Amino acid sequence: MAPRDKPSGGQAVELRGITKRFPGVVANHDVNLSVARGEIHAIVGENGAGKSTLMKTLYGMHQPDEGAIIIEGETCQLRSPNDAIALGIGMVHQHFMLADNFTVLENIILGGEPTHGPVLDRAGAQKRIVELAQRYGFPVDPDALVEDLGVGDRQRVEILKVLYRGARTLILDEPTAVLVPHEVDELFRNLRDLVDEGVTVIFISHKLDEVLSIADSITVIRAGTTVTTVDPGSVTAHELAELMVGSELPTPETRESTVTTIEQLRLSGVTIRTPEGRPLIEDISFAVHRGEVVGIAGVEGNGQHELISAILGTHGLDHGTVTFAGDDITRLSTRRRRELGLGYIPQDRHREGLLLDAPLWENAMLGHQARAPFSRGPWLDRAGAKRRTAEIVADFDVRTPGVDVPAFALSGGNQQKLIVGREMSADPSLLVAAHPTRGIDVGAQAAVWEQLREARSAGLAVLLISADLEELIGLSDRLLVIYGGRLVAELDPAQVTAQELGSHMTGAGHRGTTA
Amino acid sequence: MMRRIALVLAAPMLAIVIALAVSSVFLLLADVSPAEAYGSMLSYGTEADSLVSMFNRAIPLYISALAVAVGFQMGLFNIGVEGQYRIAAVVAAGLGAKLSLPGPLHVGAIFVIAVVIGMAWIAIPAILKVTRGVHEVIATIMMNAISFGITAWLLGGPLKATSSGSSLILGTDQLPESARFPTLNWLVEGLGVEMRPGSNLDGFLVVAVLLGVAYYVLVWRTRFGYEVRASGHNRSAAEVAGINPKAVVLKTLFLSGGVAGLIGLSYLLGSSPYRYDTGFPQQYGFTGIAVALLGRNHPIGIAIGALLFGFMERSSQILDLDDIPKEIVVIMQGVIVISVVIAYELVRRYRQTQQETAVTKATDLSPHEATA
Repeated sequence: MAPRDKPSGGQAVELRGITKRFPGVVANHDVNLSVARGEIHAIVGENGAGKSTLMKTLYGMHQPDEGAIIIEGETCQLRSPNDAIALGIGMVHQHFMLADNFTVLENIILGGEPTHGPVLDRAGAQKRIVELAQRYGFPVDPDALVEDLGVGDRQRVEILKVLYRGARTLILDEPTAVLVPHEVDELFRNLRDLVDEGVTVIFISHKLDEVLSIADSITVIRAGTTVTTVDPGSVTAHELAELMVGSELPTPETRESTVTTIEQLRLSGVTIRTPEGRPLIEDISFAVHRGEVVGIAGVEGNGQHELISAILGTHGLDHGTVTFAGDDITRLSTRRRRELGLGYIPQDRHREGLLLDAPLWENAMLGHQARAPFSRGPWLDRAGAKRRTAEIVADFDVRTPGVDVPAFALSGGNQQKLIVGREMSADPSLLVAAHPTRGIDVGAQAAVWEQLREARSAGLAVLLISADLEELIGLSDRLLVIYGGRLVAELDPAQVTAQELGSHMTGAGHRGTTA
Repeated sequence: MMRRIALVLAAPMLAIVIALAVSSVFLLLADVSPAEAYGSMLSYGTEADSLVSMFNRAIPLYISALAVAVGFQMGLFNIGVEGQYRIAAVVAAGLGAKLSLPGPLHVGAIFVIAVVIGMAWIAIPAILKVTRGVHEVIATIMMNAISFGITAWLLGGPLKATSSGSSLILGTDQLPESARFPTLNWLVEGLGVEMRPGSNLDGFLVVAVLLGVAYYVLVWRTRFGYEVRASGHNRSAAEVAGINPKAVVLKTLFLSGGVAGLIGLSYLLGSSPYRYDTGFPQQYGFTGIAVALLGRNHPIGIAIGALLFGFMERSSQILDLDDIPKEIVVIMQGVIVISVVIAYELVRRYRQTQQETAVTKATDLSPHEATA
């Protein structure tokens, strides 16, 4: 226990010997945490290590069976999130909880509307929000509609909302999972400003580089208990990762090249326009060979989504052709493309990858439902599907009590491992992997990387779309940069640095293209 | 397992209790003793004739709810079941009376006509939906209004009775013997139950049961059913999995409309006067929505819901004799549907937490082996 000394002094939050049991299981065991006032305290751990149980305890969503919660020196009982809010603890969830059709102001005051009698005191609220925003250096327009805001701005609205309720200690659950690099930098600047104003930040993450750059102290949690608290100055990301999983870790670097000269996928002059004629992607041409990983780098929203739709066939092309192993598939349906051996790991596993309420075995057949062992002719083969799912669960280390469990009950990392297993076990010849390790812990991340590498050496062609620069550089044989719907650069991952790549992604490394 | 069953039953039981409580309030307001009202409903409703009537009433509700439930599986709300079954029944009755075919063939022909008309009637909203993105709720409601008008016109014009019957009642020709459906009275008598002369157990019960089985097999045992459920669950995920959402929407709606076409046949082919006239039963399409909600789109659940509604409608007949407004039953039905929706949501949340805990438990207890 060695949190860095802060001038403000004192403990904002202290947890002593917290144990939380669920029927038949101990989710948290003897958890000790001491967060100094005015610091950024990171909590890192694998998915399922007990981070969320701990945070739910601290936010009053359930009560611990043993141990004490001490907030600003006072031992207290938190019976509900309202108690926690009253004590100045606020939580910013990983998935934003904002009403899209409301303005920033309306979202912030939602649930705590200031009133003059029965009338909403809009002016008063506006004044307070502007004050708050100025004090903490948050550039937001209170009258903007949330649906028009980018991800980074939405997150700022979430944080402001919590501050508006009077929070002095902020819990941020995986705040960077949804952000691109420059948004992360901005968030970190905001968090620094908050801390300078005396706010305490508890930062849950498993992106170790980020944790190391932002946190004042780091508590590692593993298998339900706090392992240690370290000073970020005294550990490396690698050491931290090993503390988290308790074992040696592989890195994303691919070793020897397995690239062949056989073309698996070729896009020629692919263009998709909006109905108004504005190009979303324009004149995209490239090839992916068997045994090759082609990385697509780019800030989100620069045409990656349309590029994927063009390959999957979920969106018609305005121009250009797509060939698959030499055959023109431009006019084929998504189903036919999938049957030819096109695997897809979607960037948003909840939106495009899973049927959350359906059992795992129904999820394992999604996209492969027309083939053995999942079906025979028009009939589902339930026994076959369950057998194959059990194999995926075993081979890809999906941690679940069984294959009849609904998908929502699994942690993010395990959901992702199921998706990767589903696509890999179908023996694809091309895999489109969009952010395959987003929002999952290091253990699962290493497993996914290993799977990709193995499949690549077995001749799989991979198109990797990612925002994680380390992942892109580490896994790819060739890097293409997408900016404003066009491919603007081709880079050799062996030569390029993350900084260079970053500047290409923002258009700075490239002159002569339309912005 | 027992626990699961208990949880499944908890929601509808809770809903019925709430409905009884709310209805009691209204009965008390009407100066009627709830205990007396419920007591006479229960004793009348459980008489042999009433039970037979309960089944007969449940049959069209069951088929109607299946038609609605097929759409629900895909996240589609076919509110047009009412219009689909009415127009299908009037055309099937009118054309059926003009055909002369041997027994089973005649019935078969009427089935085909009803299904085809039901599908044709939903074709317009279905095509509007996949080509123009028109919401099926709006389109099917509009189609209801149009079908009521066309039904009235058909009765007064093209399909008007040619034989001289009572000219006071507007209706189609009576169906000949060959087009009528046999009763299941032998089954009731085989069970040693005495029925009053004139009451019948509708043979259409067999059709309803077969439809229920077919619905189960289609939805849960076939690839098509899987694709429907997957699209209903998560359209984007289904789409990237190669399931063409438009094709699934079309097929599901046609199926729903086809089943809806059969709703009116139990009455048409099974009870006097064997024709479609102005007294033909209405509202099955709308009540079917409530029954589908009540039964959670599951064939067994829907059967229970349909029987419950059938029981309530039958047993309420006694209330008139006791000078109690029998509309109280409509209140009960409404409250049951609302409370069942709420109760299911509560149970669903409870189960979700349970399952999450179970998974946390199972994964935490497993040895924390190194991830490779």
